[in-house]
Amino acid sequence: MSPQPFGSIKGFGVTFKQIFKKPITQQYPEYKRPLYPRFRGRHRLWRHEDGLEKCVGCSLCAAACPADCIRVVAAENTAEHRVSAGERYARIYEINLSRCIFCGYCELACPFDAITLGNEFELSEYSRDDLIYTKDMLLAPPIKRVPVADRELYDTPIPFYKTGS
Amino acid sequence: MSTPELVTVTIDGRRAEVAKGTGLVETALQAGVEIPVFCYEPRLGPPIGACRMCLVEIEGMPKLQAGCTLTAQDGMAVRTAATSEKAAEGQNATLEFILVNHPLDCPVCDKGGECPLQDLTFRYGPGNTRMIFPKRTFEKPIPISPTIALDRERCILCYRCTRFSESVAGDGQLVARNRGAQSAIATFEDEPYRAPFSGNVIELCPVGALTSTQYRFEARPWEIQNVPTVCAMCPVGCNVSATTREGKVKRIVSRNHPEVDEGWLCDKGRFAHSHLRAEDRITEPLLRVRRRGFSPIGWDQALDEAERLLRGAGSRIVTALSGSETVEGAYGLARLLRGGLGAHSAVLPEEAGHALDAYRLPLSAIRDAELVVVVGDDPVSERAPIVDLWIRAAQRGGAELVTAGPSGTLLAAPGSAAQVCRDLAAPGSEVGRRLRESARAILIWSGQGGQGGAHLAALARALGFDGKEGCGAFHLPATPNGRGVAAAWAAASDEEAENPEPISLLIVSGDEAASDPNVRALAERAEAVLAITMFHALAVGWADLVLPATSYLERDGTTMNLEGRLQRLRRAVMPPAPDELAWLSQLAERFGIALPPYPALVFEELSPVAFGGLAFGEVGERAALPPRAEAAPLPPLESAPPPPTSDGHYLQLLRYRPLFSGAAVERVPELQFQRPPREVELSADDAERRRISSGDEVSVRSNGTSTALRARLDRRLAPGVVRIAEEHAGDLHALVEVVKA
Ligand code: SF4
Ligand code: SF4
Ligand code: SF4
Ligand code: SF4
Ligand code: FES
Repeated sequence: MSPQPFGSIKGFGVTFKQIFKKPITQQYPEYKRPLYPRFRGRHRLWRHEDGLEKCVGCSLCAAACPADCIRVVAAENTAEHRVSAGERYARIYEINLSRCIFCGYCELACPFDAITLGNEFELSEYSRDDLIYTKDMLLAPPIKRVPVADRELYDTPIPFYKTGS
Repeated sequence: MSTPELVTVTIDGRRAEVAKGTGLVETALQAGVEIPVFCYEPRLGPPIGACRMCLVEIEGMPKLQAGCTLTAQDGMAVRTAATSEKAAEGQNATLEFILVNHPLDCPVCDKGGECPLQDLTFRYGPGNTRMIFPKRTFEKPIPISPTIALDRERCILCYRCTRFSESVAGDGQLVARNRGAQSAIATFEDEPYRAPFSGNVIELCPVGALTSTQYRFEARPWEIQNVPTVCAMCPVGCNVSATTREGKVKRIVSRNHPEVDEGWLCDKGRFAHSHLRAEDRITEPLLRVRRRGFSPIGWDQALDEAERLLRGAGSRIVTALSGSETVEGAYGLARLLRGGLGAHSAVLPEEAGHALDAYRLPLSAIRDAELVVVVGDDPVSERAPIVDLWIRAAQRGGAELVTAGPSGTLLAAPGSAAQVCRDLAAPGSEVGRRLRESARAILIWSGQGGQGGAHLAALARALGFDGKEGCGAFHLPATPNGRGVAAAWAAASDEEAENPEPISLLIVSGDEAASDPNVRALAERAEAVLAITMFHALAVGWADLVLPATSYLERDGTTMNLEGRLQRLRRAVMPPAPDELAWLSQLAERFGIALPPYPALVFEELSPVAFGGLAFGEVGERAALPPRAEAAPLPPLESAPPPPTSDGHYLQLLRYRPLFSGAAVERVPELQFQRPPREVELSADDAERRRISSGDEVSVRSNGTSTALRARLDRRLAPGVVRIAEEHAGDLHALVEVVKA
């Protein structure tokens, strides 16, 4: 005899009770849960209003990065080829997103608010190489790859502490 | 020397016992207290107290004092910012003042991350600024030379750079213009800063005001690795760190060996590293096809070809060495050729000999000398630049410099250095007498002539240098590692060389050998040529098989400088092709010779023969100088016939190899302005007789060849002599005519 003769029945009871409850499964990707506004997702590099890049290629983000996944190679602006506002610009700017831990330190380190972390988290790829984001990719707005059922809800997330769900 | 008086100083409550007269900054350091500084740099001469960063409170003095200008006195009680609020306040205010007009460019500033101003502001400075007005701006960056960029906004006027230029290098080209708040660093008349040691100001500048154009925006301190190695561009062998990023050398900085270089580098050593990425770098073996064409081949085929050439030639091989190989590389070559094939014949770059080892001293001993005598045709700075700085340091300390040569204080005809040595040893010589009497005299041989070391040793012996510890002699060889290469070549076998006739195969090892006209002449007589060079231009047209060479920054091993100090080379970056030792060991295997491909193992093999069993690991980061050798019997001295001298119409041509010359320098765009102009130097007498003045175009002729050059008068040059840089002298003969064009 087992020490708890009715143990299995008790267990099945718990299971059966769930049948009558509303499921909490969410049908991702058809439905997307709202995100916190400060959710840290894919990075974005920014430009000034006049089109010049904000990034000056100072590598401070690379210094702050605990995962060592940012690579910056700087070069000098010239009168004919002006990319950023200062003396130098990032000739190469790469983030290896397969290594990134989305800690946001790069954003904190940047003296020019040139890099921020956005809300994009759907970043899966078939190859690791595709996860190395180049400067062009980071300067462009993120591509939405997965169809979203409720666009509005997704784009202006309502935090759940407000909706109470 | 008398032992200096010891004094006791209290710093922040800690006691330090130092010699009287020690600087307060060093005294504090000994007590384990830091006094922060910007302008203080003992290597630049007396402190000037320009920046006021070092403020300290001293008991009994009403005001804060600049600590760097004070020396330790008995019973002195010093309080630094750590314990004195007044001092802390003073330093804080100093930094606030410095930063009033400082641009805070840190994100775009090359100094960022290794900037003393950043560091000290962080530790002692105000957290924020009260400056609400627009800051002063200047045009920037100003290229004060193709290698150095000046940013006046960042300059904190510490005068380190101008002090270096004025008193250490003695070029006086960098000056402070205007006074007070208008002061600005500038070159004289805005001419480019063209001096052999200019690059040192980049390292001296405590902020990002003087930066290297080569390193501009290349890397940040947290993205780099520093590889401790030594410079192998000249026989001094300065200790350097090669800064690498992503597998490329980005800059060379000093690693300060106080006995060798005292932290200074010449511009060749500092800036020439970019030749590693020259466009015509050879990266794979090349085989001659048809008459002049080359086709790249794989390494297997290259080794087959090399084996075929070697087997075909047997012992009728001549090897031309450059003197820039590592000791291990030269030994590897020697093991294969001497041990495997019995090919003992070699063209060694220069014979330094061991005679001078009995008068060995560290280079730093020159600074303490009271009399320095330089014999030979070449200026010291063209052969071994740092030695020139040591001589200047000696002169600042009151030493007398006597140069005996074609433009020296004692005029001597070109090629007569051996005679000068004999004259100095003769009883009647005044300089000889002073050398004999001095306890701190230095002899330096700076010129061609294979037996320079032996002649100098004979002179030193005659002057009674044996047993005088402060007296020594240096021979300045033409090649960086000539001594080490000669030692390694000798260590592989002691059989005598017989010069083969005809030469079946000439092996040319390294770029210096490949550009040597004598080696080229040998190649004419050889049936086949195997060249090991770095650059296409040096191999085209005469080699049958070309194997890629590597540079000193790309290989491991040891090298021996002019003092006889064995120093460690470390690989900073991977070469584009396997290094010499790697393929030599494979080639040697085909001849049944076991040659390890690792420098450490090769060194172990040759060390007992050549270096008294020194272990590879003992060749330390800052290598020690072996002790003086026992005085040995001198080798027999040969007297070369004196070169033909001037008869008034024909002038004696003196060729010299400028510091900024050679295959590496030619491939560095930033260094082109340092290369010798197309000039011929004439003495005032000869110029006057020919009605030539400085700047005139002249034609220099001899036996059918002629070159057009610009004339420059050198008042110190001996009459009857003209001086032309090797690269412009072409095939002029020993006697030339100079006529106004
Ligand atoms: S979020 Fe963190 S891990 Fe990712 S790139 Fe930025 S600093 Fe690096
Ligand atoms: S000199 Fe130093 S403090 Fe000034 S901008 Fe450069 S890194 Fe910053
Ligand atoms: S340029 Fe640099 S070294 Fe020269 S005075 Fe200015 S801060 Fe000092
Ligand atoms: S003096 Fe010689 S060893 Fe020193 S940096 Fe210059 S070339 Fe290199
Ligand atoms: S370090 Fe003392 S005044 Fe500059």
